[in-house]
Amino acid sequence: MAEIIVEQLRHVYSAGTPFEVAAIEDIDLSIPQGQLVGIIGHTGSGKSTFIQHMNALLAPSAGKVCCGGQDINESKLSRRDVKHQVGLVFQYPEYQLFEETVYKDIAFGPKNMKLSEEEIDQRVREAAGFVGVEEELFEKSPLELSGGQKRRIAIAGVIAMRPGVLILDEPTAGLDPAGCRQILDNICAYREKTGATVIIVSHNMDDVARIAERIIVFSHGRVVMDGSAGEVFSRAEELIEIGLDVPHATALAMALKKQGLKLPEGIYTHEQLLSAILEIRGAAVC
Amino acid sequence: MSIIKFENVHYTYPGDQLESLCGVSLEIEEGSFVAVLGHNGSGKSTLAKHMNAILVPTEGKVTVCGIDSADEERLIQLRRNVGMVFQNPDNQIVANVVEDDVAFAPENLGVEPKEIRRRVDEALKLVGMYEKRQHAPHLLSGGQKQRVAIAGVIAMEPKIIVLDEPTAMLDPIGREEVISTITRLCREKGMTVVLITHHMDECVGADRLIVMSNGSVVADGLPAEVFADIGLMEREGLTVPETTRLLYDLKQRGMDLPLTALDVDACAKEIVEKLRG
Repeated sequence: MAEIIVEQLRHVYSAGTPFEVAAIEDIDLSIPQGQLVGIIGHTGSGKSTFIQHMNALLAPSAGKVCCGGQDINESKLSRRDVKHQVGLVFQYPEYQLFEETVYKDIAFGPKNMKLSEEEIDQRVREAAGFVGVEEELFEKSPLELSGGQKRRIAIAGVIAMRPGVLILDEPTAGLDPAGCRQILDNICAYREKTGATVIIVSHNMDDVARIAERIIVFSHGRVVMDGSAGEVFSRAEELIEIGLDVPHATALAMALKKQGLKLPEGIYTHEQLLSAILEIRGAAVC
Repeated sequence: MSIIKFENVHYTYPGDQLESLCGVSLEIEEGSFVAVLGHNGSGKSTLAKHMNAILVPTEGKVTVCGIDSADEERLIQLRRNVGMVFQNPDNQIVANVVEDDVAFAPENLGVEPKEIRRRVDEALKLVGMYEKRQHAPHLLSGGQKQRVAIAGVIAMEPKIIVLDEPTAMLDPIGREEVISTITRLCREKGMTVVLITHHMDECVGADRLIVMSNGSVVADGLPAEVFADIGLMEREGLTVPETTRLLYDLKQRGMDLPLTALDVDACAKEIVEKLRG
């Protein structure tokens, strides 16, 4: 099983020049197999640099990253192997579609893994199924499809490699609410079916609050919070101070507290807020 | 006075079977801030593109500042009155220096150099980018680039600014920068602002909210009124603000609350007052 262990990770851009800057430093954490992790942080907080270390796209300036007990930067071979184990979906992946047909685009990853034709075919169909892309679309040009469809095809291209760890950078950016929900449901279904670890980078606090088991907060290149949604969002004031949003329900709970209502800590969903208010009303009536 | 008028507008994209706009009639008041909400494919971008004659109706009529959008002789005059801002800031910036980019439109309109200088400075101050006027646009953040794009439009001195999902590619800070900038343009400069979006948060401060679905207008009114119809919003695959949703659910459970308190603090106040009796 592929547990990820990060030790004393540090990454410096433009080392040795006057523009030298440490994008991330002192990162120590481990992510057990199968966990669904949300990563939040403002633009420039180091979260994108961090995820590029998870499959050796970047080499650490110091420290190390291990996947399944193996230091991923140990050799050329380990750096290649980790790219098959850890699938990375960048922001706006639909801009990276390039093949003539949807089928060929999804097949690109498995083809590069030198799998047999039958195996590739099976994986393309399976990946398309996970993201809800109908087989009728297979022979179409990906460029003819809608934004939401393109996004799902791009994700299928990564899923077709059957990564044990799936990392997505802002997978719902720019989609309408229905499109967002569908993509997140697809990702959760993949995890449930395969037991993969999923790491989602997002600015959407409501999405993160709803689906993540664990939330890691980056600020100025460091991990400043790491815990469950309840733990992280009970520190709402600190999050706002470092320039982040909080879930809508948390913001409303804060306003209610300011008006003197005694609500419990760590509210982050609509349902929690609703039942907390109803409880107060119940107590007042009695 | 209405500055934009749609009369029974139908539009079908070339080669399509289905209509993208199916008989839209509406009028937009001069100086108002109108938000248009709808899911992907609802026709909201098609609607926006009719406002400066990028598209002309297959049937019906669009009049902007008194000019029929199908009148090709007055096309340039119409477009000078309507500035457009699109989703991707990188596709809208042409120059290597911020102030050169903002000067692009007035230069093309043949404005006097002295007047260009004045307009560029004023536009950059309005969007809060004057300090960065000598910077290279590609080194700016997404929100800053989008504000430069807006300044480029303002320098043309249009009466109307139409923004088609201007925040879709921005982070929360960038989104806030853009929305507060356009709100200020409307409130302080009296510009007519039409904002196309699928973020319900961005519609809260508008004077009016129009919801599009399958090429038709399905709701049109004050944002608080439109959001209060939670059933409709859900059918349309849209979300409503947490404030409206909470008020609605509390009302369903017997608390007599108005659904129109959109603002977080106003909503909290209503609830606390009700609880205290």
